[in-house]
Amino acid sequence: MTTIDTPRAGDIAGNPPVGGTGPVDNYLTWTKGALSWIFTLDHKRIGVMYLTGVLVSFLVGGLFALIVRTELIAPGKTFIEPETYNMFFTLHGAVMVFLVIIPSIPASLGNFVLPVMLGAKDVAFPRLNLFSFHLWMIGALFTVLALLLGGFDTGWTFYTPYSTKTDMGGVVPVLFGVFILGFSSIFTGLNFIVTVHKMRPPGMTWFRMPLFLWAIYATALIQILATPVLAITLMLVGLERAFQIGIFDAAMGGDPVLFQHFFWFYSHPAVYIMILPAMGIISDLIAVHSHRHIFGYSFIAYSSVAIAIFSFLVWGHHMFTSGQSALLNTIFSAITFSVAVPSAIKVFNWLATLYKGSIALNTPMLYALGFIFLFTIGGLTGIYLGTLNVDVHLHDTYFVVAHFHYVMMGSALIGFIGGLHHWWPKMFGRMYNETAGRIGFVLVFIGFNVTFFTQFMLGSQGMPRRYYDYKPEFEIYHLISTIGSYIMAAGFFLTAIYLLHSLFRGARAPANPWGGRSLEWQCTSPPPHDNFKVTPSVGDCYDFSVVRWSEEEHGYVIDRSKETDSSSGEGSGH
Amino acid sequence: MTGLLLSGFDLVTSLLATTAGAGAVTPANFWMPEGASIQAPRVDFAFDLINWINYVFFALIVIVMVWFCIRYRQRGKNVEFAPGPIHNTTLEVTWTVIPTLILIGIFFMGFTGYLDLYTPPKNSYDIKVTAQQWSWEFEYPNGAKSTDELVVPAGRPVRLVMRSKDVLHSLFIPDFRVKQDLVPGRYTYLWFESNAINDPDDPSDFRWLFCTEYCGKSHWNMNVQVKVFDDEAFETWTKDQARWLDMIDDQDLYFMAGPKLYARCVTCHSLDGSDGSGPSWGPRGGLGDLWARVTNGTGKVDGGRKSDGGKTLADYIGNGKLYGTAEDYIRNSIYDPGALLVSGFGNQMPTFEGQLNDRAIDALIGMMQHLDEFNADGTFKDQERVNAALARIEANKAAASQASMGVTEPAETETSD
Repeated sequence: MTTIDTPRAGDIAGNPPVGGTGPVDNYLTWTKGALSWIFTLDHKRIGVMYLTGVLVSFLVGGLFALIVRTELIAPGKTFIEPETYNMFFTLHGAVMVFLVIIPSIPASLGNFVLPVMLGAKDVAFPRLNLFSFHLWMIGALFTVLALLLGGFDTGWTFYTPYSTKTDMGGVVPVLFGVFILGFSSIFTGLNFIVTVHKMRPPGMTWFRMPLFLWAIYATALIQILATPVLAITLMLVGLERAFQIGIFDAAMGGDPVLFQHFFWFYSHPAVYIMILPAMGIISDLIAVHSHRHIFGYSFIAYSSVAIAIFSFLVWGHHMFTSGQSALLNTIFSAITFSVAVPSAIKVFNWLATLYKGSIALNTPMLYALGFIFLFTIGGLTGIYLGTLNVDVHLHDTYFVVAHFHYVMMGSALIGFIGGLHHWWPKMFGRMYNETAGRIGFVLVFIGFNVTFFTQFMLGSQGMPRRYYDYKPEFEIYHLISTIGSYIMAAGFFLTAIYLLHSLFRGARAPANPWGGRSLEWQCTSPPPHDNFKVTPSVGDCYDFSVVRWSEEEHGYVIDRSKETDSSSGEGSGH
Repeated sequence: MTGLLLSGFDLVTSLLATTAGAGAVTPANFWMPEGASIQAPRVDFAFDLINWINYVFFALIVIVMVWFCIRYRQRGKNVEFAPGPIHNTTLEVTWTVIPTLILIGIFFMGFTGYLDLYTPPKNSYDIKVTAQQWSWEFEYPNGAKSTDELVVPAGRPVRLVMRSKDVLHSLFIPDFRVKQDLVPGRYTYLWFESNAINDPDDPSDFRWLFCTEYCGKSHWNMNVQVKVFDDEAFETWTKDQARWLDMIDDQDLYFMAGPKLYARCVTCHSLDGSDGSGPSWGPRGGLGDLWARVTNGTGKVDGGRKSDGGKTLADYIGNGKLYGTAEDYIRNSIYDPGALLVSGFGNQMPTFEGQLNDRAIDALIGMMQHLDEFNADGTFKDQERVNAALARIEANKAAASQASMGVTEPAETETSD
């Protein structure tokens, strides 16, 4: 080790960059033609295709949200009828949950980054990976089909007996679509679990994995354990609609509340399918951009697993007013509070990581700091909802809407967008305009808070959710909230523009633009088809003492002369 | 030790809650609307306490974050490496244990508060609540029914015994801080007690009741007013409510009872010709208003359980046909809405059989026949006739009480039982 000179980034990958113009060969140029993408087994290409699908769905889901917010800008009818409004808030929820947030981090960024972080050539089962993507596409097509067949207005929660009675033609297709999307998610989770278990490189023990991998691993556990329950539940709703078998319909001896138990048994863990990977991204972003060893590594790693386990035991807190017994309510409330603790631990650890760091406020870091701000609000407002008597007042009001947007959008999606900016140079080999990135962040951050913080007041004042129209006393809050959504939309629009612009006009990205220490920063940007010719050996991925800025590379390099002693010193810290 | 800590905590909570509960109404603030039930102060106390804990933690986190970002900001591209601690067991255990203890305290506060919020006292006054898409019906012990408002007695615990006829609904009174889902196939319960008396003569003095479980097209419109009356006003109201239809003279029925009954129809049927979940009673499709469409037989029909393929109402109304008269058709459409469906509308309407008696149907048909005498919001245009009718109602009431005085004394105690 010590005899090797500081290598240039491309050397490890086996594709030396030529004259600073970037690598000759990379995964993007490896083969050509549409079919070479659609049937690729390369995890990076699959990740990029997922990314495209997720971003297109995000655009669509976002437009639905703007339609909903615009209708609510003033009391009375603004421009759509109640039926149309009900359809759009349903579509917004279904698209954002099933097509955007759930696949966003694991399937797109996870697919791209996970094998590279492990120094591996691909995931454990590349064909299964491709199959997951094809299932995702089919599921998405069914959602589009549902729209063409008359749409659906059940809310994304599909509560019975309304969902088995409503006469809109899109209900069955969308149930089937979500059923298929579920299997896509299960297969991705399965793939990642096996990959993490079997393909870690020499030297990367469990407690030397980047925390993103811990998060993806914990998420994958939830994906394969919880998602089948959703599949079964939706199948039952479909059967009930078609054959009136009487599982959920009280008129035939069924129980509508049973559906809620089944649904939330999946959908609460699903919240952690959304948030855990984002937490993993934030752990890595905070460490890399402050060039500081993550604080309390093992506490963060364990808290990911703890959250994954607890997430299976709290579903009943969505049902405090559903008519379930006081005893169940009490038990679920108690367990719910226990989830708050590991989440708080993570926030404190991120803060402690900043201490004495060398903090670069790049766009990804701004998103990470924004995440801490928004997640803190999302988490703290969860305390009101976990508290039984307070939840009775707040349940099914805008307070809940605000709370879960802070968690699902302000945290999960902001984490995803932060991660996207972090790995964008690696994925496409181009740098985006940093100033535009910061302005975009500021717009999104301000717009988000204006939109959703207002909704906390709206909800605690008593405004129920899923209302097409409202009493005059709520008008001012709705107006502010809608204005906020336009600011946010402007921010995302700007982001889309500078990211697309960077693909064509952006500066060539160095192998390691941020000073990252994990393995993905040691191959070229974009990585070659095989990621690494030789399986690299691994030090402590949070030891930044060996990272050094190189003018020649326009990026950071790892100073290997320092590596051996420091990695053993830092590595024994836990 | 935790147990002791908790019981102390609980004691403080209930003490503070009792003190706060002295007034009938707690004023609205930045977060909460007015509190108008005896349970509200305790919920608000829990909310406020969590608020303050959250303010402190949030401020702490954001200040530390911003301070570190400024203090340790990277200058230039070089990494100034200053090895700091990467792990500190004492610190980590501390910031695990402190939030845990606080959260345990909050849990117990919510749990004990919830038991009180949901356990009705034994002597409560029961009101039956039936929800359906998209209206409420409240039934009182004396048989009185109300659909446009929930009136409750002041200073007495009121228990709502609730059921749903179709899908999930949820009854929410923000000012009382109570909420409970209504589930088809089972009864659910809710109780509250309020001292915040409303003025029976002031129509703007009321509180809102919302449906908070999404139930379809007009979910947003499933709102009624809640009023708290003192004992005397409440007794008068329930009595009048039980016999209000009978107190109206026949010739006044359509404009005195019509608009009141129409309040249940308005969520789906407008008067101005614009279609909602159901066809408007006003002129639509160039065929005139509802009564014209029915009597001329021009109204378009498409499907329905009793449909034989006929496309207009003329195929179904008349001698020897499905319905003998236009009135028959209207009556049956209210009791059995799925029998014939108006073109362009699904089978959405629930049956009102058992809820609207013959007299109520008469009133509604009368209103349809005289639609030009009503404003678009369902109010009657001729205020003078209303005043005259009101006088006749008062006279009828007086006569009725006179008659019942001697014979049916116990009826009164039954009402307040």
